[in-house]
Amino acid sequence: MTKPSTVATTPRFAPLSAAQKSLFELASTVGQMGILAGQIVRRLARADFDGLELKRNMYKMGVKSLPIVVVTALFTGAIMVVQATPIVRRIGAHQLLGWGAGFGTLREIGPLLTALMISGRVGANNAAELGTMTVTEQIDALRALAIDPIAFLVVPRFVAIVATLFVSTLYADALALFGAAYSGQFLLGVEPMTFYNGLTSGLLGIGDVMNGLMKSLVFGIAIGLSSCHFGLGVSGGAPGVGRAVNATVVASAAGIFVVDYFVTFLLG
Amino acid sequence: MATNVGASANAAAEESGLAASLGRQAIGLARGAREIYGVFVRTLYYVFSRRIDRVALVRQMYEIGNRSLFLLTIVMGFIGTILVLQAGLQTQRVLPDLSLLGASYLELLVRDLAASIAALMLATRVGAGIAAEIGSMVVTEQVDALRMCAADPVDYLVKPRFLASIVMTTALTIWSGGVAIVTGMITAEAVFSVNPRTFWNLSLVHASDVAVGLTKCVAYGAAIPIVSAASGLSTFGGSEGVGSATTRAVVNSSLAVIMLNLLISSAALMVFR
Amino acid sequence: MISFRHVCKSFGAKEVLKDVSFDIADGETFFIIGASGVGKSVLIKHLIGLLRLDSGDILLDGDEVSRFDETAMYAVRKKCAMVFQHSTLFDSMTCLENVALPLRKHRGYAPREARVHARERLAQVNMEEFGDKFPAELGDGMKKRVAIARALTLEPRYVLFDEPTTSLDLVSARRVDALIRELSERLGVTCVVVSHDLTSIFSTATRIVMLYQGKVRLLDTPAAFQRTDDAIIQQFIHGRAHGPMET
Repeated sequence: MTKPSTVATTPRFAPLSAAQKSLFELASTVGQMGILAGQIVRRLARADFDGLELKRNMYKMGVKSLPIVVVTALFTGAIMVVQATPIVRRIGAHQLLGWGAGFGTLREIGPLLTALMISGRVGANNAAELGTMTVTEQIDALRALAIDPIAFLVVPRFVAIVATLFVSTLYADALALFGAAYSGQFLLGVEPMTFYNGLTSGLLGIGDVMNGLMKSLVFGIAIGLSSCHFGLGVSGGAPGVGRAVNATVVASAAGIFVVDYFVTFLLG
Repeated sequence: MATNVGASANAAAEESGLAASLGRQAIGLARGAREIYGVFVRTLYYVFSRRIDRVALVRQMYEIGNRSLFLLTIVMGFIGTILVLQAGLQTQRVLPDLSLLGASYLELLVRDLAASIAALMLATRVGAGIAAEIGSMVVTEQVDALRMCAADPVDYLVKPRFLASIVMTTALTIWSGGVAIVTGMITAEAVFSVNPRTFWNLSLVHASDVAVGLTKCVAYGAAIPIVSAASGLSTFGGSEGVGSATTRAVVNSSLAVIMLNLLISSAALMVFR
Repeated sequence: MISFRHVCKSFGAKEVLKDVSFDIADGETFFIIGASGVGKSVLIKHLIGLLRLDSGDILLDGDEVSRFDETAMYAVRKKCAMVFQHSTLFDSMTCLENVALPLRKHRGYAPREARVHARERLAQVNMEEFGDKFPAELGDGMKKRVAIARALTLEPRYVLFDEPTTSLDLVSARRVDALIRELSERLGVTCVVVSHDLTSIFSTATRIVMLYQGKVRLLDTPAAFQRTDDAIIQQFIHGRAHGPMET
């Protein structure tokens, strides 16, 4: 018996049409997230959201993200020093280690890595919770009780995510610089005091800190929108929840980088 | 149909409060570390002692490699511009001359960033996928069924993903690096008027940098499937368990990448002094 | 009074409801019965706007609710409550908080006040001592009773039950039947129950409509159902595996 031919019979332009399909899905997803964003903003403007839920989510997300942010920040600080070392050595300016590690951390790496970790922890979790609620009809139950699910569930979680990321970036920045200072001492023999001077030498300013914090706000918006959108859109039972978590994490990550580019470009 | 987000039920029964919560997480971390170590050792054993299923391997290479291509291309493209923008802006504050911009950018990319950022993206995409797939199999008792057939799930499920990931992470990193170089070059020209020829300056890229970069590719490629599979295999609690396993996989894989980054970079610093 | 007029609904290519029409009078305990998947739950979900019709009308107290948008539906949902098949309590809140939620939101009570009222409601369904437990810790029958308590918080005139006894053990099922009868007799609430539990149907219903293949097969009293010559209905109400019925 001859084996059936296993030569692929895909059309010649398969990769192209696959890319086209991806782009279309991308546009559709972004569009829907825009609509959700509009719904959230309208309710925020009317102060129409549940205060109790907001408090509950802020606490829960804060606690969940604390250990992860601390660990990431300390490591980030150390990595920044390790990466800045060859450059600093080359220029021979050890006093500038504070600057070298500092600008990268404050403007870019701090907000970025914190956002990525929080996307994985809080974003994915939020998508899973909303997804499970959708699958078990709890969203319908809310509507049946004449309670607006967006105002009750989505807005508090969205605000909590943005707030959590903002605060986390603040202390991640501080911790990372702290970690960097001591790594600098351990690896390069640069005194923490020198490091601190390098930081505050005038080459870095409050503007750099604000730059990073601005980013964290926008990253938070990306993660919040992503997780709420995919969580609420779950279909197909429990495997659907898994898919939604997957989609959230990927979309948040991509969104963070895209948004990062635009913010960097705009704020300079 | 499953109806609970189990954590809230647990919260009512156990101690609540910040310290207890953090302590719980620390214990979970230690347990997780032990599981990961176990999966790692067993995977290595199977890699060296049993035959490889070619079909499974190729399928995993497609899953990990081809399916991540779109995401990585976009991300690395943007990274390239961002990095050059930031580096350029900052350097302009200290030195007026941007001729070494390309050189230091290429060095950093090869030595660290291409591998690390690609790996972080893969940790989210691939890590979540592996944990979800294996987690679902655990929950639907397919893994138990495997054991009944005297097949070790680690051999059958983890090994192909492990090998595929190492190969594909390296391949994707090289591709990502290329994309980042192109967008970086374009940005340097457009924003800082740096000539692409000046930008393409390999003088600072030593063999040691390439070695470090490749080591990172292999390390990350090995770590992500191991950590994610460990999360997947330790799924419990039905369908919500799969969701939480996925989350754990993403977070732990990302952490693993960051920790390995520090480890390898520091080691390189001391070795290639 | 509730009226369904020429209601049609399809999901993709699958026609679920094909021209369904009937009325429900005030104060009735009205059962909608039929095989699984025939469209019973789909039908009542349209009443509170969780689904939208393809064609036809639904009237509640004279309003064409099938035409209402989401905001207008809120008023309808306050007088027409629903108890879902899987109870659908909110996992992240205790039973007390579940029941207190509508009071907080719609009666404007402060959280503590709302909890006091919620406790009274739970006492009505004999679940008072479980107020501080989470839904995950309760059995199905208990969750159902809490769900009913939650549905009653705004004192609705209509309550919809989607398969209230389906996943319950026999004792819990009879308790739920008794609750439904009490609602109807003591409080005059109009109960619309989707069910295929024969004991519930014949012990509680004032009138029954049976759906078969998307259409109304028979609309009459329980006694009439017992007496009918229709072979398909006889097969269903006697629970026979073999017969003319296609499922």
